[in-house]
Amino acid sequence: MALTGRAALVAALGVVVVLVAPQPGAALAGVCLVLAAAILVDLALAGAVRPLRFHRSGETLVRLGQRATVELVVENPGSRRVRGVLRDAWPPSAGAAPRVMRLDVPPGERRRLTVTLTPTRRGDRESVAVTVRSVGPLGLAARQGRHRSPWAVRVLPPFLSRKHLPARLARLRELEGRHPALVRGQGTEFDSLREYVVGDDVRSIDWRATARRHDVVVRTWRPERDRRVLIVLDTGRTSAGRVGEAPIPLAGAPADGGGPVSGRGARPVPGWPRLDWSMDAALLLSALAARAGDRVDFLAHDRAVRAWVSGASRTELLSSLVNAMAPIEAELVEADSRGMVSAILARAKRRCLVVLLTDLNAAALDEGLMPVLPQLSSRHLVLVAAVSDPRVADMAARKGTAEEVYDAAAAERTRLDRRRITARLRRHGVEVVDAPPDDIAPALADAYLALKAAGRL
Amino acid sequence: MSLTGTGPAETRQSAPTSPTARSMWRASRMAILLGLLFVAAAVVSVAIGGGTGPSRRLDPDDTSLDGSKALAQLLRARGVSVDRADSVTRARELARGGDRLLLITDTSFVLDPAGLATIPGDRVVVGDLYRLDLLAPGVRSSAQAGERSREPECPLPAARAAGDAFMGGAAFTAPRGATGCYPAGDDGWTLVSMPNAGGTTTVVGGGEFMTNRRLAEDGNAALALNLLGSAKAVTWLVEPPRDGTGDTVAGPAGRSIYDLMPPGVPWAVAMAAVAVLVTGLWRGRRLGPVVTERLPVVVRAAETVEGRGRLYRARRARGRAADVLRAGAIDRLLPRLGLAPDAGRDEVVAAVAARTGQDAVQVGSALYGPEPADDAGLVALAQYLDTIERTVGEH
Repeated sequence: MALTGRAALVAALGVVVVLVAPQPGAALAGVCLVLAAAILVDLALAGAVRPLRFHRSGETLVRLGQRATVELVVENPGSRRVRGVLRDAWPPSAGAAPRVMRLDVPPGERRRLTVTLTPTRRGDRESVAVTVRSVGPLGLAARQGRHRSPWAVRVLPPFLSRKHLPARLARLRELEGRHPALVRGQGTEFDSLREYVVGDDVRSIDWRATARRHDVVVRTWRPERDRRVLIVLDTGRTSAGRVGEAPIPLAGAPADGGGPVSGRGARPVPGWPRLDWSMDAALLLSALAARAGDRVDFLAHDRAVRAWVSGASRTELLSSLVNAMAPIEAELVEADSRGMVSAILARAKRRCLVVLLTDLNAAALDEGLMPVLPQLSSRHLVLVAAVSDPRVADMAARKGTAEEVYDAAAAERTRLDRRRITARLRRHGVEVVDAPPDDIAPALADAYLALKAAGRL
Repeated sequence: MSLTGTGPAETRQSAPTSPTARSMWRASRMAILLGLLFVAAAVVSVAIGGGTGPSRRLDPDDTSLDGSKALAQLLRARGVSVDRADSVTRARELARGGDRLLLITDTSFVLDPAGLATIPGDRVVVGDLYRLDLLAPGVRSSAQAGERSREPECPLPAARAAGDAFMGGAAFTAPRGATGCYPAGDDGWTLVSMPNAGGTTTVVGGGEFMTNRRLAEDGNAALALNLLGSAKAVTWLVEPPRDGTGDTVAGPAGRSIYDLMPPGVPWAVAMAAVAVLVTGLWRGRRLGPVVTERLPVVVRAAETVEGRGRLYRARRARGRAADVLRAGAIDRLLPRLGLAPDAGRDEVVAAVAARTGQDAVQVGSALYGPEPADDAGLVALAQYLDTIERTVGEH
């Protein structure tokens, strides 16, 4: 049960009545009794909430930054009209609007309400409860009840770097050649036999086939296909650090917007976690690799396997990847590199390109990855991709005052450590891509294309 | 990218989750039962205990352990009339009858202590009261004394006859001509008796021996009767009740503000309380649950770097900062100069000097020199390193 503002207003008017009444004691008792009786009558006559039935429909998947609509059908099987308000409670980061909706369902009928979700965070968002407050005919009191009407919306990573995809696909086509290459080179494989036309290199004539076909036939070549790419996402503590500027404000970041600087001491607004930038880069790479005809597998690992996508067909690869990525959050534990390497070795039987999305943190890599890297790099081609922090570059560039120079020295120290660990990784035959958040996805795609062009897959 | 994957949720049946009246009754009946039991126990205990409200210490009508009804009854049994007086005016009126003893246990409520001191006759003052100097001139409190059973050790007949008594509280210094009893070590006396204008003034350190709790112990009752029973009547000064009927301030013609109000106002206040309650119930009822969720941690990746910068700054670590800046600059210069990563100092300095056209000694001291002497030197070094890098990049 719940009272309304009207009941409070009546009680307030009762104060005036009691004040001017000739017999104030009797007036007080009278006003209170009348109010109580009216409230009881209202409660008795209000439409029942418990027998209401709810049905939902609408979207279950939405990309971060987009809106989803979920429809809620309220069915009133009771004999009285249910009039009042309804709240569909979602977690705050689901961004459900409107918060409270008016409801008026005549007996035996149903009404459709629409909730718009504007999620501010990846992951699964579930409706917690539907609360209905059914006001009586006098508008003094209401029956209130709660229902569970489950619905979940999975918020997928936004894949903002897909704007880079056309340019990379053009490069890929260039690489493949709409006209199959006639020159056999490294990183190419046999494509087909075709008839010789004037202008073809005579060295590419396949004499054996020519003898069988009574026609001059040349061999054509194309870049290797059906290579394997294994994208490994490190979801350990280093992936939780926020870098850059969030293209879509995430939950947990200050909501007061207004430029990259706000609050006291000009502290920059925290951007996106490295994890989200890495996911973006992984999505661009897998879209590109799928188009290039390679098989893409995905592994997310910190101390245990968080997600594993394997054997997805080319058309379904991206949707299964974003579905697997959606609920992953950075775990605040040190990643177990040994476990990660053994998980990779157990899953990748054949040689493949292992793209490891992590951070070039010298301390973490020294303890974790470096000792076990030879096991991995001896069997597979390893590419380490890391998101660098533009704030560090910014700090290193400012040298106006003594304070700034000390900060610049600290930033320089970090960059030096990063360069040294990069050099050590390269000595192990590992490719390294180190780019700021906005460039990591295209840089990783370019590195992949370069490897493909060089035939190193 | 297609969004055609199977959703995490299918259309499922809705179900009411709010408790029914029956389940609420089931869940709360034990609590309600316990609450009723508690209320019943409270009612019974108040009914048995007499419901006299808070105890009034040393009040002749109070039956609690701190009261003094027992002593008043003893006095009355011995033919001494005990009259309560809750104001100085009343005490003075009673004193007109003559041969009365004034017992003062508290003066904190007395508006006119000087007037109290002028009331003639015997006087017993209990405790180190406010304006003791007026009530018993010359008697001063000298120390705090523990309350315990003490021996009289004095020639005062009342004390000698009573023997040991539970005395203490304050210890007093006795003026010339006064008798001190029940000494508290060397600190003074816990009972001082001295003659005044119209009788005897007796000051005792504490009234514990007169309470219902202690009266039966030692010679407490004897001492109290000896002190108070000497007169035919006792005026017992007590604190007036705090309901506004005593010496409280009233308006013209003695009418308080309550008398001047229209009769409806108190009822209207009660109605306003009901209105506030209804408003509270209206605003306090939440529409649905508070939804919580586990949020990801917000930590900027640059925080460790900023922390290191603050450490450098706090320790004024010029040497370390300069070393790092130099190492970074050399690390970037080497590939541009076409030198091997393990090139020696002379090689680097010579190559930089040749490329930039700057003095080799100056370049050498910038790239490999000593720690800057002060912060200005560090800033200058940082900017000079920048200049070298820029010049090498341009040429």
